[in-house]
Parts: sequence; C-alpha cells; structure tokens
Amino acid sequence: MSKQSAIKVKNLVKNFGKDDNLVRVIENASFEIQKGEVVALIAPSGAGKTTLLMMIGCVIEPTSGEIWLGENMVYKDKWLAKDTRKIRREKIGFIFQAHYLVPFLNVLENITLLPQANKVSEEDALKKAMELLKYFEIDDKAYNMSSQLSGGQNQRVAIARALANNPEIILADEPTAALDGERAVSVIKMLKKIALEQNVAIITVTHDERILPYCDRIMKIQNRGIIFHDLNDEDIL
Amino acid sequence: MINLAARDIEHTLGKFIVTAMGVGMLLGIVLIMIGVYRGMMVEAEILLNDISADIWIVQEDTLGPFAESSRVHEDLKDIIYVMQGIDKSEAMTFQNIQLPRKDKPVRVVAVGYDIYGKINPINPQRLIKGRELKTDHYEIVVTDKTGFKLEDKIKLGRNLYTVVGITSKTVSNGGDPLVYLSLKDAQELQFLYSNKEIQNNEARGVENSESFMVNSIVATVKDGFNIDEIAQDIRKWQHKSVYTAAQQKEILTKNLIEKSSKQIGLFTVILVIVSTIIIALIIYTMTLEKMKVISIMKLMGLPNSLIIEMIVKETLLLGIFAFIFGNVFSHLIYDKFPKLVVLLIPDAWILFGVIILASILASFVGVKKVISADPAAAIGG
Repeated sequence: MSKQSAIKVKNLVKNFGKDDNLVRVIENASFEIQKGEVVALIAPSGAGKTTLLMMIGCVIEPTSGEIWLGENMVYKDKWLAKDTRKIRREKIGFIFQAHYLVPFLNVLENITLLPQANKVSEEDALKKAMELLKYFEIDDKAYNMSSQLSGGQNQRVAIARALANNPEIILADEPTAALDGERAVSVIKMLKKIALEQNVAIITVTHDERILPYCDRIMKIQNRGIIFHDLNDEDIL
Repeated sequence: MINLAARDIEHTLGKFIVTAMGVGMLLGIVLIMIGVYRGMMVEAEILLNDISADIWIVQEDTLGPFAESSRVHEDLKDIIYVMQGIDKSEAMTFQNIQLPRKDKPVRVVAVGYDIYGKINPINPQRLIKGRELKTDHYEIVVTDKTGFKLEDKIKLGRNLYTVVGITSKTVSNGGDPLVYLSLKDAQELQFLYSNKEIQNNEARGVENSESFMVNSIVATVKDGFNIDEIAQDIRKWQHKSVYTAAQQKEILTKNLIEKSSKQIGLFTVILVIVSTIIIALIIYTMTLEKMKVISIMKLMGLPNSLIIEMIVKETLLLGIFAFIFGNVFSHLIYDKFPKLVVLLIPDAWILFGVIILASILASFVGVKKVISADPAAAIGG
C-alpha cells in the first residue's frame, strides 16, 4: 500500500435483500484515492453513491470485499474493528447537503463536540475550533447559533466541524446542492484548499456540474462498478 | 465536555418550562392527595387528643360512638369513678346534627359534656374567641368553619342557643366541624322526642327514659395504675366494651379511615403512573424531534453514551423541575380545600425519590429510540 493512499477499496460488493428480492447495488468496485485528492462521485439517482459513501464511512456494512483507510484495513468480509464509530470519530469528517449543525449548540460548541468526545481537552478543542473559524473567516460568529447564520456561513461551519478532529478523509454528500453558483464554487474551492493544505482525501457526491472542474478526478458508478472519467470528458453527468 | 442536555433545554426553555409546569401540576395533585390522607389522620385524632381520656367505656359489643351507635347510662360515670385507679370519669355524647343557617345548613358533630365535670373536650388553645360553656342550657361553642359569630342565635330542636365561644381547627374524624353543648342540652337533642312522639310512645306503653343516656363514658387513670388491667375489670364487671386511647385511635384511623386511605393511596399510585407515562411520552416526543440530529451525531461517531446521557439528564431535569412546580402548586392551593390538607416534608422527599425513579424509567423510551437510530438516516435528505 502506498504511503499516500487514503482510501483503498478492493472488490467491494453490496447487495440488499435476498433470493428473489436481491438487489445488487455495487459489484466488485475497486479504486484507490490518495491523500490531498478531491474526487467527485457521480452517478444517476439510486445508483448507489450514498451507499458507497456510507460503506467507506464505516456506516453501512458491505456484503464482501476490502476497505482500507490509510494503512489500516477496516473491512475484509466483515468489520475488523469492534467499534466502527470510533473509526468515524477519529479518521473521517462528514459534510452533508444541508449543514445539519446541532441546533441547540452554538458555532463553537458544534465544532468542539467531536474533538471533546475524542478526549481532546476543552482548551485544545477550543483553540483548534477558533483556528478553523478564522480560516473560514467566520470567527466573529463563534458564539452565534446556526439559526443566526446564512446558508453559506452554516455550510462553512459544517466544513469546520468536519475538520475539527483532524480527519484523514472527508466524505461529503452533495455539499453544494443547497447553495447558489458563487457559494457552491467557493465551497468546493475551500475543500480543494483543505485537501492540499491538510493532506486530506475528499470524496464528494455531487450532481453539480459547476464544481467538477475543481475536482482532481471524477469517479462514476456505472453498471454497479466504478469507472474514472477524465476531467475533459463531455457529458460526464 | 459540553452539557448537551442543558444546551438543549436552554434552546427550548419556554417549552420545557411549560411542560414541566404541566407535569408539575399533576405532581401537585399527588402531593395534595397525600396531604388529604395526612389531614384525615390528623382530623381523626383531634377530638381524641383534646379529650385526652385514657379509657373509653361504650355499649357492650360496639366499637364506640365514632364507629357505631353506642348508648350507656349517664350514672355509669359514678360507678367508674369509684373504681380503684380511676382519676376522672365523665359522660359524653357525640351526635351529627345540622345547624340551620340562612344560606345552607351546616352539618356538624355536637359534643355534649358536663360543664361542671373534670374532663373538658374543649382545648383552650383552640378557643380563639369568646369563652367555654358556663351554664347548663342554651349555650353553644362552635368551630369557626361553621360561619357563625359570637352572640349568633341558633335554633336547635325546640330552643334557641347563643354562640358563646368559637374554636379553630376542631373537626371530627369525618371532617365535620365540632360544636360543643352542655351534656343536658345534648341529651335533650339526642334523646328527647317531640311532644307528639312522646304521646305516641305513651300510647304504645313505651317509656321515654332515654334522656339519661349518653354515648360514652370517658375516664382517666391515676399514675401508677395499669390502664389495660382497669379496662379489663370494667369489661368483666360492667358488661361494657372498653377501649384504651390507643385502641380508640386505632378504631378511628384503621377501621374508619382505612378504606378512604386505600382509595387515596390507589389514586396516588395511579397519578404517579400517569405522570410517569406522560413524562415518558414527552421525552419520546422530544427525542423524536431530535432524531435527525441524533442520527448525525451517531454518523459523526459520537458515542451512544453521550447521547443517552443527554436524554437521561433531560428526563431527570424534567422530573426535578416538575417536582419543584408541583410543590409550589400544592402549597398555593392546599388551603383552598374544604378538608384539612397536611403537606409534610418527608412525603415530598418520598415523592421526589419516586419521581426520580419514574424519570429514569421514562427515559428508557428515549434511550431505546437513540439506540435504534440509524446513522445512515442522516444522509439523503
């Protein structure tokens, strides 16, 4: 395994149901994503984008295959770690279509929640959170509730939250779907910058053609398998 | 670590307070129910304590004037008085009567006693206005709850009685206000028939001699004598039922109030169960409202223990706030009840313990929902 490999998937299979009701979603998917890379995951609705994302995120158990996160194999026909939640907590950051900030916590608390659950001291968690807020130029909103922020500001807080636990991987599920063109581009640029500066691998599920030029690679689910597109290909979506 | 429960409550403080107040009112009713029971116990003992008799002598094979009809001869008090070990002995009557009042008659228990006797059922500490009875006829001491004032005239039977004294907090074991009459007046009221009734009885050959009857003889025992032995002697030689103060208390509290207390106890248990179910439903609803957030927390990798801690803390806080509101509510309304309501601190602490347990039980529904929350549900709209 390459030292720079962040995600490696080998012969991954995911089926739902049994016998006559068997639905094959992913078949023998194999790919590798390097640290610092931003990869767009595209496919028609219902093709299994979210399922693939959730398998990589150790949320949904695959049917068979192998998943490596960094140097650690986390799945080989079964979860190899007893607590997959710990893997998520320590290695993965999630960004969603909507910001999904905890509504009863302020911006700072939303960002420090996960590090504190990871036993990071309150002082260190706050320091890191303030750094992230400054990085995203919303440090003046640290004590605001999410209801007091605009959509773009909330999405930036959500990205800051995803970075708070210093993840190796960020899994984003249509992070720009709810944003207008300018903000969508601004978010993907931000993700690109983070990937490079913090050496994080980012997979972003998207239908948004506007953000594709900012991705390093485009991964498409086609006929239940994975194919990679060149950025210059036409009609990717 | 961030206190998620406190932050969530802070975020929806108004809703939380209104909910806690609602549950609190229910708990306030629980406290009132317990208070009514305590009040019944206190009321049951007021007259017994005021009379302070060691022995109650009543009609043979009866439980005495508070439980069933009892008639003994008035002169029995003299026979009892000369017995060895007896200090004082007096005759008394107890009867339910209605005092006529302009708006609505008042049901009371009339206590008849010998105003020259040595055992006085009127506790001087409870006499708040006027004086005790001084003449054998046509004077009455009433409880303030009857609504009468000093010098008011009350028609009882054939005669007009003047209110000469007013007592406070004097009620019978049934919660009816007490009034005090001279023994002669009380006997007349209880045993003297109307002229027509007397004529009717005479025509039938029935003698009207019951005005020398009373309902009970009460006696005190000299120091150094055994009350039980004296009671046993009276049973043996006078063919009467005799109860010590402790036995009389038991008759009042156990035999007479037992059913009421069971009823109140059952109501209290039902109310506590209903409160628990309501708390559980509130917590379930509160958890349902947070399911998306909970799924996201689980997806991000927050341990279940942290989320469960939030639910349990919120439930406990709801229980504690409801308990505080319940206490305030019960203290605001307890004196509005027609019967005595006694709110005791130990009862409140017991209820607090029960509510804490109930809250923990109620939180299980929320906890179950948290455990079953699918982190994958966080993604996909």
